[in-house]
Amino acid sequence: MNPTYFLFLIYIIVCTLIITYWAAKRSKTTNRFYIAAGTLTGFQNGMAIAGDFISAASFLGIVGMVAIRGYDGFLYSIGFLVSYLVVLFLIAEPIHRLGKYSLGDVICSRFPSESMRLLMAFCTFMISILYIIPQLVAAGFLLRLLLDINYYISVIVIGGLMTIFVVVGGMIATSWVQIVKTVLLMSGTFLLTLIVLSHFNWDVAELIGEVKTGTPLEDKFFLPGNLFDHPLEFLSLQLALVLGTAGLPHILIRLFTVSNAFEVRRSLISSTWIIGIFYVMTLVLGLGTVAFLGYESLMLLDPTGNLAAPLLAKAVGGDFLLAFVSAIAFTTIVAVVAGLVISATTAFSHDFFHHILKKGKSTEKEQLRAARWSALGIGFISTLFALRLETINVTFLVSMTFIVAASSIFPVLLLTIYWKRFTQVGAIMGMFSGLAASLLFVILGPYIMNPSDGWIRGEAIFSLYNPGIITIPIGFLGAYLGTILSREQSQSIVDFNKFYIQSQSGIVSRGEKKWKT
Amino acid sequence: MEERILHLIRKKKQLMAPALAAALLFYFLLPLSLIFIPDVMIRPSIIYSISWAWFYAFLQIPMTWFFCWLYHTTAKKIERQIEAIHKEESL
Repeated sequence: MNPTYFLFLIYIIVCTLIITYWAAKRSKTTNRFYIAAGTLTGFQNGMAIAGDFISAASFLGIVGMVAIRGYDGFLYSIGFLVSYLVVLFLIAEPIHRLGKYSLGDVICSRFPSESMRLLMAFCTFMISILYIIPQLVAAGFLLRLLLDINYYISVIVIGGLMTIFVVVGGMIATSWVQIVKTVLLMSGTFLLTLIVLSHFNWDVAELIGEVKTGTPLEDKFFLPGNLFDHPLEFLSLQLALVLGTAGLPHILIRLFTVSNAFEVRRSLISSTWIIGIFYVMTLVLGLGTVAFLGYESLMLLDPTGNLAAPLLAKAVGGDFLLAFVSAIAFTTIVAVVAGLVISATTAFSHDFFHHILKKGKSTEKEQLRAARWSALGIGFISTLFALRLETINVTFLVSMTFIVAASSIFPVLLLTIYWKRFTQVGAIMGMFSGLAASLLFVILGPYIMNPSDGWIRGEAIFSLYNPGIITIPIGFLGAYLGTILSREQSQSIVDFNKFYIQSQSGIVSRGEKKWKT
Repeated sequence: MEERILHLIRKKKQLMAPALAAALLFYFLLPLSLIFIPDVMIRPSIIYSISWAWFYAFLQIPMTWFFCWLYHTTAKKIERQIEAIHKEESL
């Protein structure tokens, strides 16, 4: 390995471990371990949310997608950004006010029962694990390509680091690693954007002209329709992207790490600014890749397009810039998987161990020990899976995560907060139907059933790669039918009003202790 | 107190529900217009040499920031009023 790459990598690892050491001394209580005791400011949390959200697929994948597909690649990123409006307008503040550590707390604030908590914990756990595995597999391939490190060593290093961050430093370490990642990612991308633009004398028209000569699509590069030729598929993807974020547990639990609703809003506003600016820069980088390298040489080096940004860095800044961008890609992956591990850990140790197994009676010390052991177990198991799944295409897991989130968690959270007549049976039915529909449509869809390279060789029964347009309504329909068909009484108006006031204002009535405003 | 707070919460909902609907409509009109009126979308827009498709896609970014700001200012105002009622009742 080139010594510059090695030095950058070691530097990043040492820095993040120092953060973890510092955080370890501050993570001695469950409140600190799970939610950093709500001590982050809105801006810090906004950076952490962006760090949690922008995965390697966003950083490297979208640059590559713009370079290969042009306009449609950019369109993909817009859906991710707009999804934050749904989070902010509908569920962010209520989640912060109703929950303590997990989404299970949120749902149980209205429907307190073990089955409800278990189901929410299961969905959270499953989404997090399903998302960690493809990230780790991608990380293994990426580091092999970028730094020429063996796949197994790459996965073990990243899997090991994410586990150490969470086991030792909990949410504090995870948050600060994500903040550092955002600073690195934004500054690196900004630097690369400036270098690209300076090569074209800061003239975007010149860059566009060069792009047209570099791509076989020529003028069509700037026109829609190069990626999404099936209208229903296209609309379905947009729907899953826009509603998916509002059901992603690892993003939503970040809303507990600030002290009040004002900071929750500031968190989300900061993250939309960061993510918006980031996607504009990735557009420039995608265009720059085609202008500098040309489509043919990009395809020759990497047909997936995932190496577009690193190759561009090498073309404009040599080995040093390539090492810097590789280090950013490494930090990006580590920060995202650490966020996922803490989300799965909370679901297992807080919801399952503390509330269900110990009936809410375990001591602070026991809870903390359970959380650390859970994190260790989750890190170990997901790393093991990633090592075993080297040869299998697992990219569909990423899209499935968004679909499950949008079809099962989002409808139930939304209806729990706003629908007066909603019942526990409706919530359970909603989660089950959304989850079952997502799994069914993905398993019988073209990702799994494919005559050429599918797990099941044969024509797909459902032709949509992104079945969100069908599964999301099924989630809502299940919740609705469960509610109207159950004999269970919905809450009285008085009880619902109490809950509603708490979710919308943080005020707990009848003189009970007001925990948050 | 409960009624007064509920009234303010309802007021916030009345202001914010149309805003979210407008934002989502603005967003989904982009894929829909690309599907149904692709010929119009590839024509040059009011800004020289940029097609409507690009112009509209770029607009989604400031649109998101604008609606975030709108929500924040409204929520802040309502929150202060609720806080005032709560303090008044606690005294």
